[in-house]
Amino acid sequence: MRQYFALAAVGLLTACARLDHVQIGEINQSQGTLIPFTVQVSEFGFEAAAAAELGRVASTGKTSQHFQEIRDILALMNMGPRTGNPVYAEDYAEKMVEYIYAECPSGKLTGLTSVREAKALGPVSGEIVRISGYCIL
Amino acid sequence: MFKKIIVSIITCLSLNACVSLNSVSLTQVPAERNNTITASSHSWNFLGIAFSNDFVDVAIMELKRQCAGGKLTGILTKHQTTAYFLVFKREVIATGYCQQD
Repeated sequence: MRQYFALAAVGLLTACARLDHVQIGEINQSQGTLIPFTVQVSEFGFEAAAAAELGRVASTGKTSQHFQEIRDILALMNMGPRTGNPVYAEDYAEKMVEYIYAECPSGKLTGLTSVREAKALGPVSGEIVRISGYCIL
Repeated sequence: MFKKIIVSIITCLSLNACVSLNSVSLTQVPAERNNTITASSHSWNFLGIAFSNDFVDVAIMELKRQCAGGKLTGILTKHQTTAYFLVFKREVIATGYCQQD
């Protein structure tokens, strides 16, 4: 019972928004009417060590010990500087420019704001790149 | 006993009020740097648990408001987190130069 409570608590408490990076670009309000737009891409992120930790909490005895060993190995394998959870596609943010031009075909852009964020739920997360800005009419 | 608890709480409070700088960015800086404007927005959370990053948009709207009809360049954007005792303040601070034609 205790394990399920711990799992539920971890799941609920980690359902959070993470903000990694914000960059606000130049805003030109002198060239015409500004129409706001937002484009974003999200990729599935997975923290394997955290999943193993959940397994450790949810199990007992030998199984729990094995989960702990797996967790430690996975943590060592993924050690090092990084932003957010690892993802399985490295190029998921490369089509942002195409998406922006689809929103603003004239290409007259201003106030581009780049945000790197994530919505995390336990060991899984949506690793998000969001760009908002204004299309000058 | 009570005194020890008070001392511990004060120590924790004073030691935990630390700022970490998450990211910094700067756009092209203009030659004319007369009209400096600053906007910031923040979001408080408990134990680092946040459910939205929408506070970022507030800073952008504030920048737009302060430079209505003008061109805002040389924007320095800082994203920082201040840790207090169990409570965190996430903050976006933007400073730029407004050029009115």
